[in-house]
Amino acid sequence: MPKSAIERAAEVTPPAVARRIKGLSDRAIAWIFVTPTIVILLAINIFPLIWTIWLSFTNFRVNRPNNAVEFIGLRNYERILTDPDTWMTMQATAHFLFWTIFFQVLIGFALAYLINKKFKGNDMWTTIIVLPMMLSPAVVGNFWTFLYQPQIGFFNYVVSFFTGVDPTSFSMIGDVSLAPWSIVIVDTWMWTPFVMLICLAGLRSIPDNIYEAAECDRASKWRQFWTITIPMVLPFLMLAILFRGIENFKMFDLVVQLTGGGPGSTTELTSINLKREAFEKWRTGFASAYAVILFVTVFGLASIYVKALNRVKAR
Amino acid sequence: MADVELRNITKSFDKDIGLEKVSLKINDGEFVVLLGPTGAGKTTTLRLIAGLEKPDSGEIWIDGRNVVNDSPAQRDVAMVFQQYSLYPHLTVRENLEFPLKSPILKTPVDVMKRKVNDVAEVLRISHKLDNKATELSGGEMQRVSMGRALVRNPRIYLMDEPLSSLDAKLRSELRIELKRIQAELGATILYVTHDQIEAMTMATQIGVLNNGRLEQFGPPREIYENPSSQYVATRLGSPRINTLPVSIFGGAPAGSALIGLRPEHIHIGSGQDCQVTRIEHLGDQIRLHLRLAGHNIITLTDTHTSIKVGDVIAIQPNNPIFFDANGSRVV
Repeated sequence: MPKSAIERAAEVTPPAVARRIKGLSDRAIAWIFVTPTIVILLAINIFPLIWTIWLSFTNFRVNRPNNAVEFIGLRNYERILTDPDTWMTMQATAHFLFWTIFFQVLIGFALAYLINKKFKGNDMWTTIIVLPMMLSPAVVGNFWTFLYQPQIGFFNYVVSFFTGVDPTSFSMIGDVSLAPWSIVIVDTWMWTPFVMLICLAGLRSIPDNIYEAAECDRASKWRQFWTITIPMVLPFLMLAILFRGIENFKMFDLVVQLTGGGPGSTTELTSINLKREAFEKWRTGFASAYAVILFVTVFGLASIYVKALNRVKAR
Repeated sequence: MADVELRNITKSFDKDIGLEKVSLKINDGEFVVLLGPTGAGKTTTLRLIAGLEKPDSGEIWIDGRNVVNDSPAQRDVAMVFQQYSLYPHLTVRENLEFPLKSPILKTPVDVMKRKVNDVAEVLRISHKLDNKATELSGGEMQRVSMGRALVRNPRIYLMDEPLSSLDAKLRSELRIELKRIQAELGATILYVTHDQIEAMTMATQIGVLNNGRLEQFGPPREIYENPSSQYVATRLGSPRINTLPVSIFGGAPAGSALIGLRPEHIHIGSGQDCQVTRIEHLGDQIRLHLRLAGHNIITLTDTHTSIKVGDVIAIQPNNPIFFDANGSRVV
């Protein structure tokens, strides 16, 4: 009989080590295996988190390491929550979150529904549709600045072609009222395929014979859609919303490349604002408090959402 | 309920023949069983009648109307699928209500409630009505699936091996229950199975399918006693009919090549000598395995027999069935 990997490993273990291992309980061996992971996790995740929480109660500035660090209680939190600029960025983020998810779910589900129909070449179409998702956000941000260019931009040309508006009369990323939409459009273009893929997985998980049963039960296509397709895809859809929500709450690279938070601060999302406070103004304590607030917000929203998701799944 | 008729139905899948020129008439109130092995075209026949498949050629008449171009909803048929096909996100009650909620029926709420409760009672799933469909055992799912058909009053019930996943006890109970429901409602049922006991006990008519062709269609007794071919003869009867070359016994009609012997066709006591190779005690019957001129024969004998393994007994045919070299019946 050929020897198993465990037997071979046992043979090459030096006798001294083997003797020592033999004395260990299963539990001890388990601890030996998980300890490195726990140490790394503590070092790069848990410790910084606790350190950040501590810094958020101080006036520490990382560019002035010689200044005495003063404990200032909740002053940072107070300043952030009463600052109108914070609420501006929160609003910009909310706008960005809501509309990107809205469009991505709507278009993503519609695309998935169409792709799921059996037609020739739907695999090829899936590949083409998924392409934007594979690009680097920095690249996407960069080339969309060209597409949005009023004189030579393809986007402006297309809008003018369909509406007759002069293409040079508007600038998507230069205009205060259009800029928030410019980032919504790009993010939707880039990430709708992701929502589509998840919806497609959901649609493919519904067996044909359920539709056949519904057909025999005399349910119209419309009723089949609302009583079978939607409820059965809903958990997948909610998962897609969760992923996109968390991702877009911390959206940084794409928007920085595209608008840099401007014009003014109309597209300055919370993560961009945070980066400015922390690494341009060097208000480390203040930025830490800001980070804690964002963390609690995302964590809170996500846990409420996951509860809802589980309820939908259990239904 | 209504008459259903297939006229010269042919259906192929890619290059495989599904059905070939099948004609079949199911009268109002009949319980027709289609019998055949896997791939014989039983399920295809049901799906064609339901409207889930379209025939390549031929006509399907339901209640005096050619429905070939109608949708399943227009045909008003109820189907029980072999793989249950329950709505997994709904409760048992919601599953049973689903067909009643069709806008075509417009069932009032109290009627719907009563019907669902009645059907649940008959199928013994009342205590599971508020469970989700996915929380049931296979047998319970199958009963819900049958219930979903029975709550309606369609033109015909189409059932695709609805009892195949149940345990033996429940299967025999539901067999009787189904027959009772059918008699009570006067329902027209087309039932597909490969189980000959189901076919013999429930059917008013049996259709035997072989490779997409309908070999014989008639009442169970006739199919059993008067099979049109060797194939049909082997589908019914336990133990299976024994087929031997006619030369062994002689006295065969002209053109026959094979003699078919069911246990009741074998007279023990005189004739050709053969050896007893094995005896199976099945409780209510005893099976004798015999060896005659290089051929195996299985027959029955009474439960108090004194025959032992190794004995030599004499047998001779009594009113046997003859087939020609192609397996067709010779009378």
